[in-house]
Amino acid sequence: MFCLSVPAKFNRDLAAILFAGALLATIPFTGLPPFYESFLYLVFLWTVLATSWNILSGYSGYFSFGHGAFFGAGMYTTAVLASRFDVPFLWTLPAAAGVAVVLGAALGAAVFRVRGIRGELFALVTLAFTFVVGTIVLNTPIDGGPGVYLSGVAVPKIGPSGVSAFFYMGLALALGTVLAAFGIFHSKFGSGLFAIHDDEDVAEVMGVPTLGYKIAAFSVSCSLAGAAGGIHALFLSYVTAGDTFSIVVPLTVVLMSVLGGKRFWAGPAVGAAVITALLYAFTAGDHAVAGKAVFGAVLIAVILFMPQGVLGWFFRRRRPLAKAAQGVVELPPMAYSQKRSDRAVTSEPILIARGVRKAFRGVHALDGVDIEIRRGEILGLLGPNGSGKSTFINLVSGHFPPDAGEMLFDGRDLARCKAHRIARGGIARTYQIPRPFAGLMVRENVAMAAMFGSANLSRGAAMREAQRWLDFTGLTPKANTYPDDLNLHQRKFLELARALATSPQLVLLDEVLSGLTPTEINEAVDLIRAIRDHGTTVVFVEHVMRAVIALTDRIVVLNHGLVIAEGVAADVMARPEVVTAYLGSGHA
Amino acid sequence: MNGFVRRFAVCIILLAGVFTIGAAPGDPPIRIGSTLALTGPLASTALVHKLTGEIYVEGLNRRGGLLGRQVEWIVKDDQSKPELARTLYEQLITVDKVDLLLGPYATGAILSAMGVAQRYNKLLVHHTFGIPSLAKYDAQFPTWSLGPDPATTFPNTVLDALASTPKPPKTIAIVTSKFPSVHFMSLGAREIARKRGLQEILFLEWEFGNRDFGAIAARIKDANPDFLWVGAIGLEGNQLLDALKKIDYTPRYHFYMYPAPGPMAQAPEAKNALAGTIFEQDPPFTDNPSAAEFSKIFNERATKAGLPYSRVETQAAASYTAWQVLEAAVTATKSLDDKVLAEWLRTHRVDTIQGKLRFDGPSNYGDDLMRVKQVQNGRWVTVWPKAFAAPGATLATP
Amino acid sequence: MALPNFALLAQSILSGIFTGALYGLLGLGLSLSWGMLRQINLAHFALAFLGAYLCYQLSTVNGMDPLATMLVIVPCFFAIGVALQWIFARFRISAFNSLLVTFGLTVIVESVIQSVWTADFRRLASGYSDMKFRVGVLYVPVPELLTLMLSLTLSFAIWAALRYTDLGRAMRASAEDAPIAAAFGVNQKGLALLLSGVCAALAGVAGVCIALSYTLAPAQIYTWIGVVFAVVMLGGLGRALGPLIAGILIGVSESVTMAVTAPSWAPLVSFSLLIVVLLVRPGKV
Repeated sequence: MFCLSVPAKFNRDLAAILFAGALLATIPFTGLPPFYESFLYLVFLWTVLATSWNILSGYSGYFSFGHGAFFGAGMYTTAVLASRFDVPFLWTLPAAAGVAVVLGAALGAAVFRVRGIRGELFALVTLAFTFVVGTIVLNTPIDGGPGVYLSGVAVPKIGPSGVSAFFYMGLALALGTVLAAFGIFHSKFGSGLFAIHDDEDVAEVMGVPTLGYKIAAFSVSCSLAGAAGGIHALFLSYVTAGDTFSIVVPLTVVLMSVLGGKRFWAGPAVGAAVITALLYAFTAGDHAVAGKAVFGAVLIAVILFMPQGVLGWFFRRRRPLAKAAQGVVELPPMAYSQKRSDRAVTSEPILIARGVRKAFRGVHALDGVDIEIRRGEILGLLGPNGSGKSTFINLVSGHFPPDAGEMLFDGRDLARCKAHRIARGGIARTYQIPRPFAGLMVRENVAMAAMFGSANLSRGAAMREAQRWLDFTGLTPKANTYPDDLNLHQRKFLELARALATSPQLVLLDEVLSGLTPTEINEAVDLIRAIRDHGTTVVFVEHVMRAVIALTDRIVVLNHGLVIAEGVAADVMARPEVVTAYLGSGHA
Repeated sequence: MNGFVRRFAVCIILLAGVFTIGAAPGDPPIRIGSTLALTGPLASTALVHKLTGEIYVEGLNRRGGLLGRQVEWIVKDDQSKPELARTLYEQLITVDKVDLLLGPYATGAILSAMGVAQRYNKLLVHHTFGIPSLAKYDAQFPTWSLGPDPATTFPNTVLDALASTPKPPKTIAIVTSKFPSVHFMSLGAREIARKRGLQEILFLEWEFGNRDFGAIAARIKDANPDFLWVGAIGLEGNQLLDALKKIDYTPRYHFYMYPAPGPMAQAPEAKNALAGTIFEQDPPFTDNPSAAEFSKIFNERATKAGLPYSRVETQAAASYTAWQVLEAAVTATKSLDDKVLAEWLRTHRVDTIQGKLRFDGPSNYGDDLMRVKQVQNGRWVTVWPKAFAAPGATLATP
Repeated sequence: MALPNFALLAQSILSGIFTGALYGLLGLGLSLSWGMLRQINLAHFALAFLGAYLCYQLSTVNGMDPLATMLVIVPCFFAIGVALQWIFARFRISAFNSLLVTFGLTVIVESVIQSVWTADFRRLASGYSDMKFRVGVLYVPVPELLTLMLSLTLSFAIWAALRYTDLGRAMRASAEDAPIAAAFGVNQKGLALLLSGVCAALAGVAGVCIALSYTLAPAQIYTWIGVVFAVVMLGGLGRALGPLIAGILIGVSESVTMAVTAPSWAPLVSFSLLIVVLLVRPGKV
């Protein structure tokens, strides 16, 4: 979905933005009637609103219906400060942005924490917030009813004509917003947002500080909307609560973003320009009503024939980027030279879990579990289905906190840490059913882990690191395709590559061999051994017995949430209680 | 690369086409430009203004036009949005290069247009501005004759009308929308009622756009005032009356600030509703020949256009007056220079279907010419002051 | 803030229930198509108003009983809904794109309404508008009662159909996981057409209710969007009883606020309540 960050392309796009900005800046001096400056101001305004909305809602997937609240907050801040307190107009703009940010950050801090508020519920909360703010504005001395009148406020003198000031302010803000969207798109922050968009839980466990990033994106989005509101207040010169605090503004920006192309950072800007231009095309008085119908028809036609938006149609890809061979891909022999380390299995513990409990609605998944994981070992975690293995992995990786007990890792109790901090600390995991970021390419998926895991690399370094792990797992031929194009084996290896790219001290593998063919299992076993030899401790949940016996130094067997056996594999598997646990009492 | 260039060219051509749609070629006739809310929430009343303008311009051209030239009226659709009105007025002035401006419909749009007119030093005669204290430009001229302080003068007029009845009201309930042009009038009414010794037994405000009037109606019925002042605009009055009807309550005296004329006149539960007006289609207003003729044509056109209420009332009259004012100024000064016209208007009186208008008061407002009208037998009838009441009409009392 | 007497409070609550029932009825079709067909159908509102205007036209000009107009409107709108879904499927329109397409449709329908009936206000004067019952101290006006009954009946009928009939179960399966459902023999295409037709028909019925109680103007289409979206989202997408419950919740909270304090605070109370409820118990109404 989001293209690779190629330095040449980045520079080219950046140059294009600045060039466009410079070109537009000359328009007031070309002698065109000032009406066009006003018209372009409106295009700039909607560019700011649509692009800023996209930074939160398009990038991270948190669909907000509340943009009107922040736009209106900015409008009223400027209106009240400028007309009642005689603050010079330009000074009110930072205040407008500031008020909007405070509101947005407060709402975000309250709402983003709550796990269940995603998707349309988030949209609902933001819409409700808009109505609440609007009512407060209307019923307090902020407005109180009559509206706020700004005719007495001096318009700064920028540019040749009376309206040029708005043109330049609008242009400056629009440029700033587009550059912000562009910059975020190509940054680590942006990558984190895209990850949140695709799978927030996985992103958090991988090390993306999701709460912080969401609030940051929301704050950026709100501040830009607030600043736009401040400028618009003076443009209108008479501010009423009326239509501002409603669903109109967010609905319009959604339409603009979709029309322009949601996948592109320039999409909202294009959509804003097209829709504003269309609005003006049909204002002739004789056929106003028919004109509106034509406007509607044009919108429909555009989206029917350009389903990815205007920019999507413009940048139609002709061929898939990677000329990947079809069918089963024969993986080349491992490129990574094994560091045959003589590191023997130590008895030094890396993670000590004591008395860990977790219950789900009354079902005790883990009922007081004591497990010690030693540095440098491959530990097998076994047990029949429902014994608590996946729950243990989820607890250690921070998916959810335990109900009781402690898990000491590197001197810290993981039970009290947030998931992304656990990842930073050097713990990684794979998922039994692979959960790659569907909207990112394979290479980007691995780079994400390098960026946000304990390695904490910059974007460029992460890309290079990603290449290393793609080679190690043999996924290099598929690096520029999307996860949907991979088969199960490749997806499992992608999970592995992702986990390893975080440079973990401890990696938890959740049934990584399930669903693989015998040949593939052999390759995976070699890979896992190589991982341990590289210095990483491996905990390994599995049912495939020959792999368990071949790989593990020790195993721990769980049943009904309790540890029932621990020791060397061949030994433990023969014990009667273990056999009973797996096969039932008739087989002891 | 070819495909890219081709698509880019297509886009440029389309955009260029969009821009040329708006521009109009230059012509010898005198061009008067304005916008109206031809679509959007304000469209219902803007229709009246469009009809009025068309009728006036036709008549004007038949009489020889202005300064011997035909007149062309360029009207654009501001879609009920003030920000669109503002840019369209800029387009009218700087792209279409019209000779004269006329105001758009309703306070919000007029404020926007006023700002533009001020920047380009153009004269602005407007017909539906509701908040005189906000009209700060010296070359704007109102024909909705509220006078400079309507929040004081008009409630007095209304209460005078009620005081003239055999049983004047002693208690008053004021319920109002928070719509700007209505809200400040209701607050003024509150003041005046207090000064005149009426007892206020209920004061409620609702936000404009409220759909559910059940609770408000219940509270009004509970209070049971002698006089109900409703700060309503558009349909709000009808919505309230609907809600009152549903709980079996008919207010004794009831007044509505700016009701949509058609629905209020024709709803059975709106019997005896009072409102303000500067003109109704009855003598003595129609004693003026041009008023009578305008009324006849308007009735025909309105009926043909499908308007439920086809009589001339305040809205159409205010609009017609604006055109009259413009024509008078241009004819008297033989000039299209905005400064000259503005100066003339400030120092002269103009004969219109409303009466003789002057513009020498604060914010160029003259006298408060608002009368009181009442719904009687499905039509609006002026009832106060007696000098302006329709023949034989008196304020019907419950 | 004066504490109102019982009759006032009760009447206000009743009024809130009626308004909420209409929100629910309007929201029902929207919720079903959003939740089950993954389409955000803005045109739902335009269709509702088209239905309202048709009801007005048939009653005022052709003398039909307003309720009887449903016999004409429901089948016509069902057909419109089917046609709409057919176009969506043919062009494979995604959820976000459906927002744009239906917005375009809304604008077109609004223009059609304005050119046929002008922008001026239209009020359906029917025999029902004067009818009312008295239940103790309460007044129960008939048009609103009809709206409430229709809303309740349709919501429960659809809920029951989705829960207990094979067709309903097939639809829910299809909405949850279309390919798997298809593997089990569910005709996903046909069901989608059927559901879309039903949603459009629901819009038509909502329109008749609007015509009975409200004055019509083309631009009114947009004034309902905000609150009905809130009702739909609160009630949970695709849940038949959701919009009704959420609508009544919002309607009553606003109405009670208006009875007890300054009416202009009403939206603050209802929507703050909503936010608090969501923060405390997200995902469950």
